[in-house]
Amino acid sequence: MTQLKDLLSVLENVANNPAQVINKCLEEKRLMIGCAPEYCPEEIVYAAGMLPVGLWGGSTSIKNANLYFPAFACSLVQTTLELGMRGVYDRLAGIIVPAHCDHLKCFGQDWKVAVPQVRFIPLAHPINRKLEAAVEYLKSEYFRIKSVLEEIGGKPISDQALSEAIEIYNDHRKTLREFTTIARDYCTTITPSLRHNVIKSGYFMDKLEHTQLVNSLIRELKKAPPEEWQGKKVILTGIMAEPNEILDMFEDYGLAVAADDLAQESRQFRTDVPQGKDPLEGLARYWSCMEGCSLLYDPQKNRRFMLKTMAEESRADGVVACIMKFCEMEEFDYPIYKKTLEEAKIPLLYLELDLVTPSLEQVRTRIQSFAEMISRKR
Amino acid sequence: MITAGVDIGSTSSKVVVLEEGEKILSKVIIPVGAGSSGPARAFEQSIREVNLSREDIKRVIATGYGRNTFTGADQQITEITCHARGVYELVPGVKTIIDIGGQDAKAIGIGKGGTVSNFIMNDKCAAGTGRFLEVMSRILEINIEDLADLAASAKNEISISNTCTVFAESEVISQLSTGTAREDVAAGIVQSVVGRVAGLVKRIGVQSEVVMTGGVCLNWMIIKVMEKELDVPVIASPMAQLTGALGAALLAFESAS
Amino acid sequence: MPEKLTSRNLLNQLQTRHYTNAYAAKMKGQLVGWATSIFPQEFCETMGLTVVYPENHAAAVAAKRGALPLLEQAESEGYSVDLCSYARINLAYMKSQAAEIPIPLPDFILCCNNICNTLIKWYENIAAELNIPMILIDVPYNHGYEPTPAAIDYIKSEFGECIRQLEKITGQQFNQERFQEVMILSNENSRAWKRALDLNQAVPAPLNGFELFNYMSQMVCARGRQETGELLKLLIEELEEKIRLGKSCYEDGEKCRVMWDGIACWPHIKHNFKAFEKNGINIVCSSYPEAWVLLYEPGNLDELAKVYSMIGNNTCMEYQADKREREVKNFKLDGILFHVNRSCKVMDFMQYEQQRLVAARTDVSIMNFDGDQADPRNFAAAQFETRLEALMEIVAHNKSAKKSKEVTNNDPA
Ligand code: SF4
Ligand code: SF4
Repeated sequence: MTQLKDLLSVLENVANNPAQVINKCLEEKRLMIGCAPEYCPEEIVYAAGMLPVGLWGGSTSIKNANLYFPAFACSLVQTTLELGMRGVYDRLAGIIVPAHCDHLKCFGQDWKVAVPQVRFIPLAHPINRKLEAAVEYLKSEYFRIKSVLEEIGGKPISDQALSEAIEIYNDHRKTLREFTTIARDYCTTITPSLRHNVIKSGYFMDKLEHTQLVNSLIRELKKAPPEEWQGKKVILTGIMAEPNEILDMFEDYGLAVAADDLAQESRQFRTDVPQGKDPLEGLARYWSCMEGCSLLYDPQKNRRFMLKTMAEESRADGVVACIMKFCEMEEFDYPIYKKTLEEAKIPLLYLELDLVTPSLEQVRTRIQSFAEMISRKR
Repeated sequence: MITAGVDIGSTSSKVVVLEEGEKILSKVIIPVGAGSSGPARAFEQSIREVNLSREDIKRVIATGYGRNTFTGADQQITEITCHARGVYELVPGVKTIIDIGGQDAKAIGIGKGGTVSNFIMNDKCAAGTGRFLEVMSRILEINIEDLADLAASAKNEISISNTCTVFAESEVISQLSTGTAREDVAAGIVQSVVGRVAGLVKRIGVQSEVVMTGGVCLNWMIIKVMEKELDVPVIASPMAQLTGALGAALLAFESAS
Repeated sequence: MPEKLTSRNLLNQLQTRHYTNAYAAKMKGQLVGWATSIFPQEFCETMGLTVVYPENHAAAVAAKRGALPLLEQAESEGYSVDLCSYARINLAYMKSQAAEIPIPLPDFILCCNNICNTLIKWYENIAAELNIPMILIDVPYNHGYEPTPAAIDYIKSEFGECIRQLEKITGQQFNQERFQEVMILSNENSRAWKRALDLNQAVPAPLNGFELFNYMSQMVCARGRQETGELLKLLIEELEEKIRLGKSCYEDGEKCRVMWDGIACWPHIKHNFKAFEKNGINIVCSSYPEAWVLLYEPGNLDELAKVYSMIGNNTCMEYQADKREREVKNFKLDGILFHVNRSCKVMDFMQYEQQRLVAARTDVSIMNFDGDQADPRNFAAAQFETRLEALMEIVAHNKSAKKSKEVTNNDPA
């Protein structure tokens, strides 16, 4: 039991204090590369012997970033730029910025000017990802990123190192998938915010080490029989479920997380990188294989059916749409899956989230009302 | 058994004391809300009026915007659930509730037995809330209660195109300064708020009976315009601002027995 | 004697015909498509398909003050008010078809994200709701100055895929000869359009820049068509005539030459127009209409891919600044008025830095205002007027400071 507590507190500590881990990295003279949301080829960074660090903004007020963004940019790009301008990321040797949405396209360009001390490494994914030509194109993008990293690191990245990195990452993905499945049976121990922190800590650690810790955690959990859960369970969908306080509110009102469909969480590890001779091609093909995210082209909107199935399979009592304010990628999907879930009589909560001015009391009322609603219903 | 419901809004505190979940012993409204001594004073007054003490009250439920700041309660339940319960008691056929509060506007869908089947609240901005009406009344230099009467006398209602309070403020000022009649501006303000809230209601689907709660439902003009917007009759909750407190007192009774 | 046909009249005729023809086609059971405003129309034009443009339609609806009910309808369906107002108008229209100008519902949709990625989400919703095929031509964002060779190859492969899908939808063969003809015609029209825009470099400018937004509709809807060439020819003749006579489009001449940066505020366009007139501000150009100057060597698909990829919104900070700098010089601008458009994130989120870059490189005066292309609620007349007056004051101040350096040039071409 104490072992379990220790593991959890280690992971939680990393998630809440990334600076410590990063300082350790500096001592070891390992270079670090920032990875902006939502999908970056971390494996290439890892293969270069560097530590990929996930940058997902943070709760803070805006003092500098408004030189670049009007108030209606999503708070992920607002706060990441703000922190960058304050020098928080100065220790990074570079930052990879994908161009998934209009916010990120501009964010990258603004970063180049606003935070010149942290090298901007752009990336534009192909959106027609099912075409064979998309794989070729993305491979060329990855090849360029690889060259930049080689230049920064001062040494070449071998195919073997890449293949090893892919293996380590696939292993990590598998472990996190296992964790999210197990967590469902231990809702008392693994509270919504612990669940989040276990996953989030992986953004600031060597994946090898993180995999080991999470595996031990799974082993420790399994020692006890599955826990009975008196409250209700929900599915979280959207980009991310922060600021941190909101997950505590779920706990306060007896809501556990049955499963998630968050870009910061499960969407990152649902799919494995396909193995093959050419590791860079494998990474590019990985993008073609992914499904079920608002950032992935989906003209049939299969995401709505996926959500419904997820809710049914995990026996969730409802779905919570964690909508990052001003994120049109998610906002466009919402009315579509809303209809599907309504038809299936699956309760749905629209939770508008904002890292800059979070209005936590309003969020609390919504979460509590939703909890009351689904508890009284059945 | 005696129970009480305390509804703490942003601008007022309301208390209902109930006997056996049926008989209203007392009801109190004090025009100061969360963060003040209002809730405690209202509660004190409500029990004093009927010569009771705190010990006589079996269970107290707090609701509303300031529900978590009131220490005298046994439990906190949101205004969504409490309004649903309160209205269901008063109008058993209710299917849709509209509540325009000071900070929030909400639409609530009611299912079997008065339970909440769905709900939605306005986004962060003040458009479509009591706050908007308050700011605009101030510019018109009238009491918020008089807005309806003023609006009713409009001859050429204008449309306030901005929903952002800051922009709308400047729009209203410039309308007034170019000589638009105050009543026409007032009608525009009412229309603007109702339009926003009606949008929320449509998002959950309009089903009769539609009941409006909260202080704003005393504003008959708002009810009338809302009926027009939604194209169904709208009933004002017989207990207006006290509906949430009533619901809380009822829920207190049910959970205690 | 019949009155001489003006380009303005012809434009109105063509636009009306554009919409009535689309309806007639639908009635006859022909396939109708919806396309994004800078989709490579060469492909559907070659197939002889009837296509209408929702952005153009939404703008027309908004200009006729018909946007609000549709916006409210979209909101009641769960669309956030923060989304692009064109998308909200169109998605509501798709359900209710409640608009003064009707367009037929589509049987297929064509999307190119060279202006934004918002379009992809919007079009996905159309495809899913109507259950119709969607063709996407994705042009990866140009974080470098130009598309990479790999990006060009990818886009070309999408062209091939687009043709295959169109053949499948229509059951007809794609005709390469016709394709060549369409490309030639499209280039002629683009060249003429550029010529018309450039004529406004003359001092005083012959055309009120707001008119450009109107003529632009024709470039959006029919840039591969013969009749567009005729319209542009007429327009150019008129402009040349005005230049010859040294006529300004404002009665009391032109006090201040300004570029409108961004899309028009359609619901308030009359108000904006009057406010400019009152202040003696002439909008001589805009960053927007130029997007439909699409020049390439007909038959060269590499160039076709490149030109469609390099639409302003899809380019990097330096490219955009260079372009604006050129405009300031060519059009002899005194000021730039930036529309901080609540709808259009991609245009707004680099704008502040663009303002600093252009101000540093030229001596142009800069002002911005808050608005929205089609949601009437996100605009405040009082703010707009104050900003215009402030712009005039700054320009006047700057002008007197550099008076000695002033150059005038009456022959732009
Ligand atoms: S949260 Fe949405 S808008 Fe923001 S960066 Fe992610 S996808 Fe883009
Ligand atoms: S206005 Fe902006 S966001 Fe809307 S469709 Fe056009 S480019 Fe995209």
